[in-house]
Amino acid sequence: MKNAGLVALSVIALALAVILGPTSVPLGDLIHSPIVRDLRVPRALLGLLVGGALGVSGAGLQALVRNPLADPFLMGLSGGAGLGAVGAIALHLSGPWALPLAAFLGALAAMALVYRLGLVAGATLDPRILLLAGVVVGSFAAAISTAIVSLSEAEQLRNAMLWLWGGLSGASWTTVLVMLIYLPVPLVILVAAARPLDLMALGDEPASYLGADVARVRRRVYLAASMLTAAAVAVSGVIGFVGLIVPHIGRLIWGHRHRALIPVSFLGGGILLMLSDTLARTVVAPRELPVGIVTALIGVPAFAVLLRRWVGARA
Amino acid sequence: MRRSVLHIGLLLLLACGRGRPQAPSALSVTDDAGRTVSLSGAARRVVSLAPSSTELLFAVGAGPQVVGRTTWCRYPAAALAVPVVGDGLDPNIEAVAATHPDLVVLYRSPSNGTAITQLDQLGIKSVVLRQDLLVDVARDAGLLGTLTGHQVAGDSIARVLDSLSASPAASVRARVAIVVWDNPPIVIGGGSFLDELGRLAGAQNVFHDLPQASATVSLESIASRNPDFIAVVDDSSASNTPSFARRPEWRAVPAVRAGHIIHLPGTLFGRPSPRAAEAVAAYARLLNGTR
Repeated sequence: MKNAGLVALSVIALALAVILGPTSVPLGDLIHSPIVRDLRVPRALLGLLVGGALGVSGAGLQALVRNPLADPFLMGLSGGAGLGAVGAIALHLSGPWALPLAAFLGALAAMALVYRLGLVAGATLDPRILLLAGVVVGSFAAAISTAIVSLSEAEQLRNAMLWLWGGLSGASWTTVLVMLIYLPVPLVILVAAARPLDLMALGDEPASYLGADVARVRRRVYLAASMLTAAAVAVSGVIGFVGLIVPHIGRLIWGHRHRALIPVSFLGGGILLMLSDTLARTVVAPRELPVGIVTALIGVPAFAVLLRRWVGARA
Repeated sequence: MRRSVLHIGLLLLLACGRGRPQAPSALSVTDDAGRTVSLSGAARRVVSLAPSSTELLFAVGAGPQVVGRTTWCRYPAAALAVPVVGDGLDPNIEAVAATHPDLVVLYRSPSNGTAITQLDQLGIKSVVLRQDLLVDVARDAGLLGTLTGHQVAGDSIARVLDSLSASPAASVRARVAIVVWDNPPIVIGGGSFLDELGRLAGAQNVFHDLPQASATVSLESIASRNPDFIAVVDDSSASNTPSFARRPEWRAVPAVRAGHIIHLPGTLFGRPSPRAAEAVAAYARLLNGTR
């Protein structure tokens, strides 16, 4: 019942994202309109994929560091991606894919650095050290970006910052295809880690008594979640709140078992981002709002209502 | 229309660089922030903290009085000889004060609020200019002319620009979207001098209805408003296609697919300037050349 509702909701969100837009396209012309075919449909699908990636990444990282505040961008990846993007613009790297590629490489570099720092205390990736390393690497990258921005011709680099705030304007069939090829690997790794992640909620020691290889699971979950975030930031910048709020909503309704939570976070993230982007494109048309603002405006009240209802029901 | 542009251009040429600083006497003007600026005589050492005001100072004939400029003030060529004091927004007050200016020209922006207060505390006079539209450049030409002792030249540039901004729109030759940035797409709206230049050159801005100088819009609305040309402001050669034009989602815009891209040179179109008439003529030529 809950699952059917979620699937139905994602179909509705996808349909709305395709039907609604700043230009009014009559329902009968939807199939023939090049605007719908080349812009709206890939943008809706990219919303589903990016929202899904962020939702799953958030769910994995929250379990990994056992911190409800964890979100895909807490661990320095946005800083790394930002440095990549700013660096690409400052070095005048042109080419249609220079910016997303540079951001992706920046995020991966930040991931590698955080991972390496996380191993300082041993192979188990101590969550506290991982969190600290993430924050430190992120701040360091952000400091370098700010230095570059303040020393270069400001206008272009200000625009790089706009791109970083996040949005789905870069959606095309090519980006959708790239994501479809890329996403399955980290998603499968996280689904496969569902059971050990459940066990690790009990604590490291009980988890290893029950057969979980804690060190290995941590490393895999960290790398897979970061790979999801790196791809998301490369195609759409830093879209906040999806990875933070959606896993919590999922836990409130579906419980803490990761076998259910991971697919639910994927669809939930996709729904939130598709609906938010539809609003971002239409409410001030022809202008557009940064989608991260809308995800917060929708996600936070939804979370507050659910939290009240569930905590109230338990009391 | 073509003739009148040429005519205005000639007038402007005559207006530029004429006259010497007039005899000192107390001066008082109201700047674009509504502040009263009083000088005991024409300013002799001026620091200009905006490329547009540097250009204007040289145009009224006050070039030799400019003792400091920003890194970005590169026009006219004579300005390059002036020492750089840093950035124009949130400027380095120490570097500015070290040039011992008797007048500092700032762009009106919230990020300059602190700088203005600090200059006041140091007893250094400052004038704040808006310079967003042609009428602003006209008014500021008068202001800077007065403050630097080149009132005649300043007023004559002001008259020329005022009459340019008041001239009727040219008949529409093409519909244009001026793209400032591609992701997220940012276009020039109605409240900008590029929109004004287009109106005078016969290039109708398809986003004229947006009151802002520039705004983030959805790519879909660029595609559906279907401009004949995409204009970009840059200094690269005309054959150089902007990289966004090769991105698949931009191919949904018919003008991009057809390669109908106009390059507006940044030195002429990058900011409102007293060379607006020249810019209008260049814009019209670019539209004709692509036909």
